[in-house]
Amino acid sequence: MAALFKLAWIFLKIGFIFFGGGYVLIPLLHRIMVEQYQWLALREFLDGVALSQLTPGPLAMLATFTGFKAGGFVGGLISTIFIFLPCTLLMLFFSSRYEKLRNMELVKAALDGFLPAVIGLVAAAAYNLGTTSLGSVRDFALLGAGFVTLQFTKASPMLVILGAGAIGYFLHFS
Amino acid sequence: MDTGRKRVSLGEIFTTFFYIGATGFGGGMAIVSLMERVCVHRKRWLGLDEFMHGLAFGQILGPFSLNTSVFIGYYLRGSLGGIAAAVGFIAPSFFLISLLSWLYFKFHELPQLQAALKGTNPVVIALIVVAAVGMTRSKVKGINDWLMVAISFAAVAFFNVNALVVLVLAGIWALGREYYRKEHQ
Repeated sequence: MAALFKLAWIFLKIGFIFFGGGYVLIPLLHRIMVEQYQWLALREFLDGVALSQLTPGPLAMLATFTGFKAGGFVGGLISTIFIFLPCTLLMLFFSSRYEKLRNMELVKAALDGFLPAVIGLVAAAAYNLGTTSLGSVRDFALLGAGFVTLQFTKASPMLVILGAGAIGYFLHFS
Repeated sequence: MDTGRKRVSLGEIFTTFFYIGATGFGGGMAIVSLMERVCVHRKRWLGLDEFMHGLAFGQILGPFSLNTSVFIGYYLRGSLGGIAAAVGFIAPSFFLISLLSWLYFKFHELPQLQAALKGTNPVVIALIVVAAVGMTRSKVKGINDWLMVAISFAAVAFFNVNALVVLVLAGIWALGREYYRKEHQ
């Protein structure tokens, strides 16, 4: 029980600071799950990102995966509820004040001003994960191919990840 | 209630968003365009303008796909509608990822699965890089923005500063800067 309360509390906190789209979760969850509590190994964390891209839901489904590791099905359920609780409540609040907020320029401008820091964090996450988990020429070739495919074609992340998994499987990566 | 707005049952809100959440593979913007097609064009629950406003507010905290669902649900039936939409939207992904997590933690010692996941690993990093590039293109304008990108990158990548600290400081900076601009124009 104590562990579940802890999960709920951690994900609630993450839910409150989860600004600027799902990708900011990667540095935050990496820090908390891998470095601070060591609930996940780095490899498991990256695999969790891949799995969360296989669902139609947001990248935040990564919370379900991490919760599942820390506390089974109930852990996953609690993590999911608590990470989405703050944004759902905030959105209900906004929706109820919708007519007034239509005209609030300060809110929108300040939010735009804050986004570049989010980008820096996301880039740093790619850098940190890359320096610790990419080793061989093969890894960098896949990284390059993945980047080109995702950047210049309309292929969905799910398809690209499934394709990369198939490559690893059929070429017997070890 | 406005006379122009249809009264939609909570059950219909739930099943509609469950359907969107179960079939919207591709996530993110792909799922938002599916939502637009279903809610704005097919069911005529709300106008395109209102939909776009919901999407804009949805950018603030958390995933915008979930937030837009909450917005539409609220627009139709108040708080209960918003919750019905949110639960319906997340449920399919929740069950799918629970199943995948279970399989993963049960079988991830298998060499075949290990091989497949070794292949996905670099692509996951590519995905993050693409996200950063995309956001840079649409959101980074001018020297202040580039400095914020560079400082927050260096703080986290090289000096191991907590991401939360960076976010809070950036928020304070952005709000303060905007307030200053409002007062001095």
